[in-house]
Amino acid sequence: MTTFKNWVLSLLNLFHSVKDETLYWQKNNQAQQTQLKHSRILATKKIEAELKKKSVQLEHEISLLRTKNDTELIMLKTKCKQDIKDYKQYLNALDQLKHSLQLSYKQLPEAVAFTLHHHAKHLLNQMWEAQDFEQRMLHEMQLINFMTTLHEDTRHYLEGASTDILPQKTLNLIQKSG
Amino acid sequence: MIIRIALLLLFAAFALFSSVDLLLWLAIPGLPQLLTPLGLATLFSAFSILLIYGLLALIKLIMRACVDYLSAENRAHRRLLFNQVRQQQVKQLYFFKKVQLNYFVEAKRKKLLMANNQQHIHALSKAIDKELSTLKDQLSRTHYQALHHENIKHLRKRDINALLQLQVKIANIV
Repeated sequence: MTTFKNWVLSLLNLFHSVKDETLYWQKNNQAQQTQLKHSRILATKKIEAELKKKSVQLEHEISLLRTKNDTELIMLKTKCKQDIKDYKQYLNALDQLKHSLQLSYKQLPEAVAFTLHHHAKHLLNQMWEAQDFEQRMLHEMQLINFMTTLHEDTRHYLEGASTDILPQKTLNLIQKSG
Repeated sequence: MIIRIALLLLFAAFALFSSVDLLLWLAIPGLPQLLTPLGLATLFSAFSILLIYGLLALIKLIMRACVDYLSAENRAHRRLLFNQVRQQQVKQLYFFKKVQLNYFVEAKRKKLLMANNQQHIHALSKAIDKELSTLKDQLSRTHYQALHHENIKHLRKRDINALLQLQVKIANIV
């Protein structure tokens, strides 16, 4: 029984000694621990402030980006509307050209008038669908050249300078490009 | 410390079991019956302490994780991430709106072009029909009807080249 008592006492002693050691260690390093805790809190606060600052900056950027995007979209919409309007006007102009051509050349078959009109539309579409500026300019020049030749043919015919019953130069131009 | 106590209890339980074995080997009656429940109780308390300690540690970990998740630093970090995602979304939305706008404009332009094409194809077909009716007397009934049907067929198919060829074919008859 005494051995058991001694054993329990030694166990308690061991427990207390370990506790003492821990307390001593805590006492000796209390200053360092407090400093460490303080530094940790400061670092956390600093990170938190930085994150909040970044977040606010980002919110401001988002608001600017939204305004910029909205403005650009409105501009793009206006441009698109204008493009459609222009295209409609081009088509009307080509229709009028066909009409005036039929009025000038009384004997002009519908098939020839259709071919000329269709070719002009083809050139217009090529110009419209061109991806880069250079290509667009090239197709625009082709369209202008075509219209000029047709206009010259009509003028010559109406002035009596040409006896052709068809706009021959324009038809040759189509054959060349085809 | 608690782990140490649990381990000590575990060793004590093993020591008790060993002593029970020894006493049984020495054939000493009475004492093994007393020591066996004591050993079992010690072993049970050792495992109970370990289990309770584990559960407490787990609860502590969960609590710490919750506190960490709700800490100001992590909240600020999440807010920043949310804003970054939102910025990306705004950029993507702008890009897709632009694509959508271009798509609709292109569709509208094609619609205009198709309507215009249709109008002129009709005019061509009408002209062919007119030309055909002037030649009605010169052509046999079947030939006229065949050419007339051909005209309608090409008009339905919107086949420009076929209509032009038909026009040339009729012109050659003249």
